[in-house]
Amino acid sequence: MDKLNTKWSFALWILLVTALVPMFTPQGKADRLVITALRISEAPSGLDDPVWQRSRTTSIPVKGRGAFSDEAGVVETRALYTADELYFLFRWDDPTHSTTKQSWVYDGKKWHHQPGNEDRIALLFEITRIDHFATRGCAVTCHSPADLPREQWRLATRTASEKGDLWHWTAARSAPYNYADDAWLTVAGNPSGSYRETGRRKDWGEGGDVRNQTPDGTRPLYMPNPRIVPSVPGFLLFEEAAEITDYSIFSPGDVIPFRLPRKPSGSRFDVKAQSRYTEGGWTVMVHRRLDTGNEDDVMFLPTRNYSFAIAVFDDSGDDHSKATLPLTLEFER
Amino acid sequence: MKPPEPITTTKDGRQRFRSDETKTLALNDPFAWLKRITVAGDACAWNRFVGGVLLALVVLLFLSGAFLAFYYSPVPGAAYDSVDFTLFSAPFGSILKGVHHYAWNLLLVLAIFHLARTFVAGAYRKPRQLTWISGVAILGLLPLFIITGDLLPWDQRGYWSTQVRMSIIASIPFAGDMAVRILQGGALTGIVALTRFYVLHILFLPCLLALLLAVHFYFVARHGFAERLNGKQAADHPIAFFPRVVNRWLVLFIVTVSLIALLTYYWPSPLGDPADPTDSTYVPKPEWWVLFLNQLVAIFKGKWAVLGTAVIPGLLTLFLVGLPYLDRSPGNRPAQRKTVIVAAALLAAVMIVLSLMGYFEHFGLPRQ
Repeated sequence: MDKLNTKWSFALWILLVTALVPMFTPQGKADRLVITALRISEAPSGLDDPVWQRSRTTSIPVKGRGAFSDEAGVVETRALYTADELYFLFRWDDPTHSTTKQSWVYDGKKWHHQPGNEDRIALLFEITRIDHFATRGCAVTCHSPADLPREQWRLATRTASEKGDLWHWTAARSAPYNYADDAWLTVAGNPSGSYRETGRRKDWGEGGDVRNQTPDGTRPLYMPNPRIVPSVPGFLLFEEAAEITDYSIFSPGDVIPFRLPRKPSGSRFDVKAQSRYTEGGWTVMVHRRLDTGNEDDVMFLPTRNYSFAIAVFDDSGDDHSKATLPLTLEFER
Repeated sequence: MKPPEPITTTKDGRQRFRSDETKTLALNDPFAWLKRITVAGDACAWNRFVGGVLLALVVLLFLSGAFLAFYYSPVPGAAYDSVDFTLFSAPFGSILKGVHHYAWNLLLVLAIFHLARTFVAGAYRKPRQLTWISGVAILGLLPLFIITGDLLPWDQRGYWSTQVRMSIIASIPFAGDMAVRILQGGALTGIVALTRFYVLHILFLPCLLALLLAVHFYFVARHGFAERLNGKQAADHPIAFFPRVVNRWLVLFIVTVSLIALLTYYWPSPLGDPADPTDSTYVPKPEWWVLFLNQLVAIFKGKWAVLGTAVIPGLLTLFLVGLPYLDRSPGNRPAQRKTVIVAAALLAAVMIVLSLMGYFEHFGLPRQ
């Protein structure tokens, strides 16, 4: 009898240990794409660093909206992180290499803008919770201000307490300086009561570009400085431009860039980038410190997950884009 | 002051004193009063620590819950932000939130184990019927803590799990709709529901649990421990409640806290996306403890739904409560209670199979 009861006792202990296992059953999650950042010790040196092969590629579908809803594509995404930096590697097909962004061209009599624009990729994270962003993604930031009709909606959040972190890599303006313009998103501004501003705000610091045009907008104001060798071939940086004093030196067919990248600094220069256009597509690496210490940036903690969304723009200067549904960034620990 | 003499000594060696003398001593010298309390020696047996761990877990849940309440704001939206702040910004917030999360899981597992052990040992039988019934009542109370607590972070999982639970409760004939309205304060799960769940979770349910624990301990103290599972009699030598039993509880508390803190350090408590009541695409996955009930709901549909939502769970509860009076076996040992043991084993097997079915349905490998 003692043996029998000892068996009962033993069986109960087995039951207890087995019962502990279900504690670790996964929590319910929405069926959405998760990008897992792999922990590494050494930062990747660039786009071709073998360390990227260790991370998992996630193929993220992107789709156009509104009038462009028939457009679709895929952004292949990898993510890595070190003790203090987060890295993304994006690769997407883009049949046209667009970096001109309305450059000036001279026809012998007048200056005209060329038709081409630029390719871009934008990422939006939450600095503070944006209502419904985790479930609807960028769509919720296109619905403000709520009191205006749809055609007047701007890229903005609905309330001032909701803030987004916007990383904007642009092939014509930020790529020459190897960064993605770091901005943040808040409510649409209405300085004159007409909501003329979007909710996009620049992070503190310098960057962006200068419009190369005379005050009347009929011709360029700057040209390459003949005494400086361009540091980025094919681009005219504002710091390397010289004001045009004699327009008679130009011949028909001469091209001068319209948007002149400015040297970035401060928080606006938090997101560094490298890029390359090959085989009909872009490969772009962006990286940023996990914690910049700036209030206009999202702080990444490897212990938590982050909702974010991506949009790619093909030869576009407006909101003509293909965007993802909301995504989750998680850190492998 | 001279300590009073005992007026009787029980069979297991515990001493009893005049109640007025005990009260006087408890007020004048509480430590001397505590030292005078003796319990059966089995209280410190190596295989009798589950009850002590359960007590440690309850204390841990009360303490960690109190800490979390310092930061919590029971308003939709702000609730999520406050939990997010606790988890990722408050000092030790992640650990304490994790401790609260894992402690209730462990509490439920150990409470079920405690119940199973008590059942196998036949400790629900006379004279310990009320010890058993108060224990079953405590076990029945735990899911209410979970149901009310799940909504509090106001994340997708908690919100949509609550929707599922409310729809199940609403399907109970006659009382379902009213119960949902009382719980939620209306037809929708909004700010009133969140406030009610919060108040139930931190005030009413803890008070009820404390009361039931007091009743349970009273009957444990009054009727003593059951026979050991190996058939030997409980140790007959009495031991001092203070410091021996109290020290043992403290050790269990420290060990439990350390293990759970370690667990939460490596596997932090989850926090899903913020609740979006307009996102009907979200399908919550049932938690492990409710998988078999969930399968019952899935099996019985339409006019039979009431079987899965009310009749079978109700009969199961009645069976547990009435067990001490239903069991007419000649002795306490398992071999002497074959009918009850086989019936319970069958019941457990059905619950395990249903849980496994639910597990594979909800957590199985995704289709390739």
